Amino acid sequence: MERNPMRRQLASMRKSLFDQGYLDEQFMELEQLLDDANPNFVEEVVTLYYRDSARLILNLDRALERRPLDFSKLDGLMHQFKGSSSSIGAKKVKAESTLFREYCKSGNAEGCMRTFQQLKKEYATLRKKLETYFQLARQIGPMESANRPK
Amino acid sequence: MTPTLPSGDQASDQDNWDNGRLAHKRQLLTEIILRNRLTALVVDGDTTCRVLEQLLFHSYGVQTQGVDNGRDAIALIASGVKFNLIIIDMILSVLNGLEATRQIRDMGVHCKMLGVTACSGESERQAFLAAGVDVFIEKPLDPEHLVPILRELDGQ
Repeated sequence: MERNPMRRQLASMRKSLFDQGYLDEQFMELEQLLDDANPNFVEEVVTLYYRDSARLILNLDRALERRPLDFSKLDGLMHQFKGSSSSIGAKKVKAESTLFREYCKSGNAEGCMRTFQQLKKEYATLRKKLETYFQLARQIGPMESANRPK
Repeated sequence: MTPTLPSGDQASDQDNWDNGRLAHKRQLLTEIILRNRLTALVVDGDTTCRVLEQLLFHSYGVQTQGVDNGRDAIALIASGVKFNLIIIDMILSVLNGLEATRQIRDMGVHCKMLGVTACSGESERQAFLAAGVDVFIEKPLDPEHLVPILRELDGQ
């Protein structure tokens, strides 16, 4: 009996991730692609993304401390980060990455730094939201099995 | 296999608000059946991208190998391994994607090459095509781009 409110909550949470622009269609494609694999695979892919991209964020932070800024190096790092973020459907993060690269191309140091701060905020916000979402999905998963008619 | 999301009400909420695009993309994921055993090389320095691209190929029954830099791609091809398709990113460590592509073509490799990269500018596109890729695709690699190419390679 507890299943339905939780399922509605999960559906609502999921919908708002898309409606508020945190995720785009690529996330849905991931879910379809990984449908035949283990049910937690999407979460595993997202975990992989956050683990790997943490290194890029750190390298970007360090590169932004250097003077003068090496825009070519910054662009290269952000290129990889953008690609990774787009592969999991991280829409807002991807948008900030694109903006950052535009500032790199125009040599706008202040723009780069400001955009990177915003990017880190979006990156952290998405992480928290997805952690909550996957936690609820995992709770519902075992309950589904327990309540399935024999 | 049980999906991450529960079925029933959950699935109908999902389908209602994506206006059929998800259904279309789902169709693309399942509608192709390859007659031949195709092989692909994925050259991407980002682990998440490489894993997902290889998974996408696996879902269509394409055997893949993955490397994370241009030099290893060259070495693999030089060792005699043949591929029907090569996916290569523009910015790679050790040997960048543009130079790796030129060297692969210089080695006499004529298979289909897709430049799949986070770059979206016209100058990047022209540079990658000039280096020798056949198609330039902005990441992420998706079924809508891939399915027609796989069909072509499969002779469908």
